[in-house]
Amino acid sequence: MIEIKRLSLVNFRNYISLDISFNKKINIFLGNNAQGKTTLLESIYLLAISKSHKTFKDKDLIKFNESFCKVTTELTKDQNQLTLNVVISNEGKKVLVNQVEKRKTSEYIGVFNVVMFAPEDLEIVKGEPINRRKFIDIEIGQISSIYIFDLNQYNRILKQRNEYLKQISQTQKIDYAYLDTITEQLSFYGAKITSNRIKFINKLNKFARNLQKYISSHQEDLYINYLSNYQLKDNINQQQIFQLYKKNYQRDIIKGVTKLGIHKDDIRFIVNDIDVSNFGSQGQQRTTALAIKLALIDFVKEETNHYPIVLLDDVLSELDDNRQTQLLDCIKDKCQTFVTSTNISGIKKELIDKSDIFVIENARITKEKGEKYGKQ
Amino acid sequence: MQYPDSISKLIESFSKLPGIGPKSAERLAFYVANKMKEEDVLNFAKSLVAVKRELMKCPICGNLTDKNPCVICRDTNRDKSIIAVVEENKDVIAIEKMKEYRGLYHVLNGVISPINGVGPQDINIPSLLERLKNDEIKEVILATNTTIEGESTAMYIAKLLEKIDISVTRIARGLPVGGGLEYADEVTLLKALEGRREIK
Ligand SMILES: Nc1ncnc2c1ncn2[C@@H]1O[C@H](COP(=O)(O)OP(=O)(O)OP(=O)(O)O)[C@@H](O)[C@H]1O
Ligand SMILES: [Mg+2]
Ligand SMILES: [Zn+2]
Repeated sequence: MIEIKRLSLVNFRNYISLDISFNKKINIFLGNNAQGKTTLLESIYLLAISKSHKTFKDKDLIKFNESFCKVTTELTKDQNQLTLNVVISNEGKKVLVNQVEKRKTSEYIGVFNVVMFAPEDLEIVKGEPINRRKFIDIEIGQISSIYIFDLNQYNRILKQRNEYLKQISQTQKIDYAYLDTITEQLSFYGAKITSNRIKFINKLNKFARNLQKYISSHQEDLYINYLSNYQLKDNINQQQIFQLYKKNYQRDIIKGVTKLGIHKDDIRFIVNDIDVSNFGSQGQQRTTALAIKLALIDFVKEETNHYPIVLLDDVLSELDDNRQTQLLDCIKDKCQTFVTSTNISGIKKELIDKSDIFVIENARITKEKGEKYGKQ
Repeated sequence: MQYPDSISKLIESFSKLPGIGPKSAERLAFYVANKMKEEDVLNFAKSLVAVKRELMKCPICGNLTDKNPCVICRDTNRDKSIIAVVEENKDVIAIEKMKEYRGLYHVLNGVISPINGVGPQDINIPSLLERLKNDEIKEVILATNTTIEGESTAMYIAKLLEKIDISVTRIARGLPVGGGLEYADEVTLLKALEGRREIK
């Protein structure tokens, strides 16, 4: 069991300084727009993943006109007490576990995991392929630092290859030994990433399928299909992929860019045999988005042996009663959960009874006595 | 306000150094103008000119030297059958410090990196191939860095040497000596596993 006991922020977005303790599994943050609700969840996300879910520019997290920000948490993981720090300044980002600086992400990632539910989740289902690739990469990256390394290597060598292709068309000179070399490297990482993504989708599928069934009262059968741009049946290996690239050398050279690769992959969500991204109803799309996010909770548990911390940003009141119940069943007593909402009225009483309620106003937090919200 | 000409020129010179931005260049230039003793400035200027005038790249191995050929290339006690291929002069110094390696070097002066405008022909690879025509050489150790460009460069050179009867090796990547496995990060551990060797 992982539980955040204390969270403190310094110069983090609109917070000058904040220090709160948590005693309950479920914590609800109430407040009007632009008061700092998402920011709180963002700080927890940052502690888990060492990146924000909203921006890849770390410096955006520093309060305007300040030079640094700092996020600290004390958490318990089984019997152990852990302190995590993330400090962002002009010198970059520092992450510390129990006051010891960790220089490599791989030494830091995975202390605890999060699953964030946000209104943008619908984009995973409805949006562009890049949204789906980002989803996959973040979630596998959360449990495997080797995957992050492989992905960075792939992207770097892809950039080198595209630049080299451009230079070929400018100079009309080709060094095939070099083109072969970088293509081999691309194939090596492409093969590893493809296999890992397929493995991930298969695991996710197993959990999401059951969840979709429950949420839809056995009306909907979900199947997630991984569309690898390499289109290899099975036996995905570096040699086969290298041959595919080789066949396309002329095309790549003419276009001056690498057309083939994991940067073109996508996933399809099939519900009752139709592609729900393009042809599903609003309700089916919402159910699918919810099912895959809920499936991550089981996935993280299976991979890491611990349930993730669940962050629900502005989503509860969006969900109908049935979907809320389903969500509650998934997190009940298993995951510490942080919920934000502008309004208490959309949230089920069953949840309110179990939770601590905090009101956020202009980056200041007060813990509410329960009676006001009809708690017993 | 316009800076005096001599200061502007100095700022411009400093900003040509790696890792020095316009702000730092300005700070350094004004430090020289206001704070440094004339004697120190003169010594500085002299050594700047000296490294350029008195040092050259060894025509054989590409290492920085004040003798032609360099002390390593001319040393008759060294093992002329092995060449370690490295990226930079400082890599030679690092290996020499160890005092265990008795072979020769070849300094590439960079790695292949199209995004930095460095192609295969822009580093000292042609001169390496020329050297290898000498029958004396039995082994080439590819000791470029473990960055992806260091890997590309090593793999590329290995490809060029495929048909030549010389053994080509790559330095191992792996665990820091003296540390327990549990302290290594996962990527390092993986690379150490991939680079394992048979001992029986
Ligand atoms: N770097 C920053 N420095 C200072 N303030 C910032 C920074 N970044 C964002 N803000 C401000 O922080 C405030 C809180 O944003 P946040 O997204 O947490 O609001 P919220 O409570 O989730 O609102 P909503 O209900 O609209 O989602 C906003 O007014 C935003 O403009
Ligand atoms: Mg918000
Ligand atoms: Zn020499």
